[in-house]
Amino acid sequence: MMDQTGDFVALFDTRDDAREAIRRLAAGDVPRHAIEVLSAEPLMLEETGEVSTTKSRIPLYAILGSLLGAATAITLTTFTSQSVGLVTGGMPIIAPWPFGIIVFELTALGAMLGTLCRMIYEARLGRAVPPGDYGRHVADGRIVVVVRDDYRDRAASLIDENAA
Amino acid sequence: MDAKINSDLLTPLARTGRWWYVTVGASAAVLAAAIGAFVYQVTHGIGVWGLNRPVYWAFDITNFVFWIGISHAGTLISAILRVTGAEWRRPVTRCAEAITVFALMIGGLWPIIHLGRPWLFYWLAPYPNERGLWPNFRSPLLWDFFAINTYLLGSLIYLYLPLIPDLALMRDRAAGFRRRIYRALALGWRGTHLQWDRLERAVRVMAVIIIPVAVSVHTIVSWDFAMAIRPMWHSTMFGPYFVAGAIFSGIAALIIAMAVIRRVFRLEQYLRAVHFNNLGLLLLTMSLIWFYFTFAEYLTTWYGNEPAEMAVFRSKVSGQYAVMFWAMIVCCFIIPAPLLAIKRLRTIAGTVIASALVIIGMWLERLLIIVPTLAHPRLTFNWGDYSPTWVEIMLTAGAVAYFVLLYAIFTKLFPIIAIWEYKEGVRHRAGEGRTTGATDPALVRGD
Repeated sequence: MMDQTGDFVALFDTRDDAREAIRRLAAGDVPRHAIEVLSAEPLMLEETGEVSTTKSRIPLYAILGSLLGAATAITLTTFTSQSVGLVTGGMPIIAPWPFGIIVFELTALGAMLGTLCRMIYEARLGRAVPPGDYGRHVADGRIVVVVRDDYRDRAASLIDENAA
Repeated sequence: MDAKINSDLLTPLARTGRWWYVTVGASAAVLAAAIGAFVYQVTHGIGVWGLNRPVYWAFDITNFVFWIGISHAGTLISAILRVTGAEWRRPVTRCAEAITVFALMIGGLWPIIHLGRPWLFYWLAPYPNERGLWPNFRSPLLWDFFAINTYLLGSLIYLYLPLIPDLALMRDRAAGFRRRIYRALALGWRGTHLQWDRLERAVRVMAVIIIPVAVSVHTIVSWDFAMAIRPMWHSTMFGPYFVAGAIFSGIAALIIAMAVIRRVFRLEQYLRAVHFNNLGLLLLTMSLIWFYFTFAEYLTTWYGNEPAEMAVFRSKVSGQYAVMFWAMIVCCFIIPAPLLAIKRLRTIAGTVIASALVIIGMWLERLLIIVPTLAHPRLTFNWGDYSPTWVEIMLTAGAVAYFVLLYAIFTKLFPIIAIWEYKEGVRHRAGEGRTTGATDPALVRGD
């Protein structure tokens, strides 16, 4: 069936039925990037290659965040210690071991914030106009397969509406 | 099945039982009394506490260490179970993660309360100022500032990420103001395969990062003591000893919280005997590890026979703190170990009793680490004693009440069991080839 946006939408009770429909769509030359699956729990369809997503860069951003955190920590501790007007009697004012602890904590913090921000961006969350609510049927355990407008007719012919 | 799980786990949010109001009312009353005690302390000065030379840390820092320890219930245990793929974790994780956040919030308050002038707490933060007051990065207390805040923020993220799909579920069922709140918090979640993929990846990455952070937090808390050349503090094993104790008390707190939630919200089908059994086994393991560390620590002190160390040792084992010391041994090992080791006794009631004893024992352990050492400095002319005042006792009770209150409110706003994780677990158990019900070609795209 079509929804208001013109996409083809089919609702399934079980993941096996949804999977079968996706296989049929793939066999019928509907590109994987044109298929979107909505569910109330992870189906892991990407792992089996049944649907595709763009490559995730979450681990990369975790690493970038950690580097940024470490740089912040090094700057903060070093700058602060060198700015303090204490007379140290020739003793070094940079203390690598204690600074290492601050660097460790801020490195982890940077990695966590990097992960969160990238996840929100890649999952297309937090957009100014939310893409619409999760249907109540999905919340009750059904699976929605959406095929984009361009492939609507082909999808409709491939998925028998009685089975879908 | 999904509708039933949704209904069972969302019902506590919609219906409020009498016991919830009793719990909230009682904890709010105790918290109000504690706030009164705090106001009295602020207006009269820190002298209203029982602190005096040479004991400058007592209930306040005991509570700080205790609550930071309790916080290890959640994020650390949840992350370890997630990383190791323990399937039974699913109904347990959110109960645990919420404990972490609230326990950290309360634990972090104690050093601020202890300042005496809590409104100056921001002096701990490194920032340039005209007085030339720069934080000393070599102070373990400043390490605490960074470690606790990192862990708190990380735990909040770790609690929030798996909550997003459930927030979307609640958004679609709520109305009015609640709907607006859930809608904002759900960030437009629809449950697309892309979103699930990214969520799972992010949670996995977070689980890996949060484990070393959790370990570092209690290690750094232990260094508040171990970095001082004080009898029975200056020990290389204090880090792992504190981490083991934290996980020990954390699991105990989790078991108690789960038992209460199970009873109050009638979630017997979800928080089952197997969860208490498995957590009971973990608690037993930690009890044995804790006893091993304690024995190793005390044996080394006794064998070394160093006079200053032995003064503290004797005060604990046979002196003025002996009652508390042996109560600690009984509560943390003598009773819980057999209770948890014998399968017939490792029931829900058995694990809850063991956990309650462990909580008491671990609070005593924290007090016994701090007070006897401070009361017996190396120079004997300076020995002293400590007894708490009503203000400290009231503040301690208030912290417990505050935790109960926060947890009770959380259970009314968010599902205390992760709904999607639970459903995923049910399907894993059932196998993927399951087919139920008839197909329904309804149009459900909810734009």
